[in-house]
Amino acid sequence: MSVKSNTVNTVLGPVPAEDLGVVSVHEALLSVLPGAQYAVDVTLDRAEVFETLAARLTEFRAAGGGTVVDATGMFHGRDVRLYEALSRTTGVHLVASTGQGPEELLGGYFLTPQTNPPTPWPAEKFAGLFAREVDEGMVVPRVERRGAAGLIATAATRTGMTATDESLFRGAARAALRTGVAVSLRHGHDAVHDLDVVLDEKLPADRVVVGGLDRRDAVAAGAPLAVARRGAYVALDHVGGTDADHLTDTERAALVADLVRAGLGDRVLLSCGATGVAKGHPGNDVPYAHLLTAFVPLLEARGLGDEDTRRILVENPRELLSVR
Amino acid sequence: MSRVNTVLGPVPAEELGFVAIHEHIGYGMPGSELDTTWWKSPEERYQETVPKLRAFREHGGGTFVDVTGICNGRDVDYYKSLSAKTGVHIVACTGFVGGDTALPYFARAGVEELTRQFVHEITVGIGDTGSLAGVIKVGVSRGGRMTDLDKRIYRAAARAALTTGVPVLTHLAIDAENAIAVFEEEGLPLHRVLFGHVDDGVNAGRTRDTWIAEQGGRIGFDTFGYETELPDPPFWARPRQERLDHFLRFVGEGRLTQVLASADANCSPLGWPGVRGHTVNYLFDDLLPDLRAAGLDEAAIRTVFVDNPAGFLTLQK
Repeated sequence: MSVKSNTVNTVLGPVPAEDLGVVSVHEALLSVLPGAQYAVDVTLDRAEVFETLAARLTEFRAAGGGTVVDATGMFHGRDVRLYEALSRTTGVHLVASTGQGPEELLGGYFLTPQTNPPTPWPAEKFAGLFAREVDEGMVVPRVERRGAAGLIATAATRTGMTATDESLFRGAARAALRTGVAVSLRHGHDAVHDLDVVLDEKLPADRVVVGGLDRRDAVAAGAPLAVARRGAYVALDHVGGTDADHLTDTERAALVADLVRAGLGDRVLLSCGATGVAKGHPGNDVPYAHLLTAFVPLLEARGLGDEDTRRILVENPRELLSVR
Repeated sequence: MSRVNTVLGPVPAEELGFVAIHEHIGYGMPGSELDTTWWKSPEERYQETVPKLRAFREHGGGTFVDVTGICNGRDVDYYKSLSAKTGVHIVACTGFVGGDTALPYFARAGVEELTRQFVHEITVGIGDTGSLAGVIKVGVSRGGRMTDLDKRIYRAAARAALTTGVPVLTHLAIDAENAIAVFEEEGLPLHRVLFGHVDDGVNAGRTRDTWIAEQGGRIGFDTFGYETELPDPPFWARPRQERLDHFLRFVGEGRLTQVLASADANCSPLGWPGVRGHTVNYLFDDLLPDLRAAGLDEAAIRTVFVDNPAGFLTLQK
């Protein structure tokens, strides 16, 4: 394979990276808190889920969007067959992800296996599990494998990385090295520390995106700049969010402008962290299109030119998602 | 009216016959469905399972109680087809094998939400199957002590049992003081609780079976067949004679009406290799001959495998 391959793994197969267009890199399509699929007070009507997601994706496309990445991993409601149908219907490229985390969201199979003592899975086993989802295809549990995963997504516990979180991070990094697909990580308490765990596995920094860097605690710690300077991608992925934990859109636009002015515009990624359909948890109801309809104008007002915007929305995610 | 919930609808307890009280069609830890290591085609599943159930029926088995928890691969539509085609009554459960097998949605839930889940599955149905759960499974997480989540599940199970009349069946009977405290606080009579796995190789030595029985609980010798004599025994295996002696000693103390026995086997394991050569039919092939050789008469055997389970499984309100 050439050093710089130019395809991206979408749910409908490899697509030339040039075709992605505007990419929203940290979104959720169907997002199901593990276990909610068995809950008596949760209903999952696939036709209804499809209709809701199709409307949101069509709105995104009408606003100029090209690709949505479902960065929720393999165990949070991922429904590959539904996503294939959605992509065919709406014309939006959909990239689905493998990976899991943080620890609290794992099934007991990984945490308390039927061994004595019940030792949680080590990094190498997670690496194998995730890499196979790229090399052999994403699982429809106990039924079949479908297309290749386009991203390896994991997350650390908010209060600080646990030992099992670290195994997940190292496993994700190793799977990325073996398959050429990038890693997305949601940091826990300390973004730079968490990034350094995957870099310690010798994964090049430009194969990593660190999410949640528009969290107020991360910004206060100077994490966006520090992560960008290490060479990883900085995802400001709560565009449109209004909760107290994150920056407002106005503050977020200012942060983007600061990063661009510091010469780090080629490290910035934007996304809404929207939940197309949420089951078993509140989700984030911001439309995918908000990024283009509401946030890009704020960037323009900050003096960012078309070239800057295009780099952030098109070129940076294209580089990240290209299989190396 | 005597009534027991099976996956094909309520049946009179008089029809249950010989009951295997703690079994699995197929068990896997939550998340094991993501690991293709364990996948088998539906053809293989039926091929591994149907002959075991047919043999169970031919031996005189009547009812198979599946205690695979909500997140462990419980598959009621599959059980319905197995039951309809083999003639074995199958009782499915609501609840969890232990807090460490409850996925985040349930691990974050409070007692009221868990109670609502259990009651719904017992009175309205499991998913969209229309089948009603016939027992409530609870258990102690790995580590030997009840976690806060384990206790919430026990408390919800007690409330659901009182509301619906369905009994409670436990995975492990260690840390029983905490379990019994919860049941007593909720007012659930202990004869509605089967404290299981008192006989397994890891926990038998620290399970207060006599004390639990003195409090009124039912006692499950339900890992028969997991023996150190097997070619590849699991870590919870125990020498065959030691388990048998334990059972006979306990029964000999005048507790025949409080014991139940089973094999805890998987017809076709979902998320682990399983234990080669161990099936529910150990009960007929090995245990009954051992019990008869030890002098148990047919009336005693009937008490353990027919009368005790019928009394336990009958809805009581």
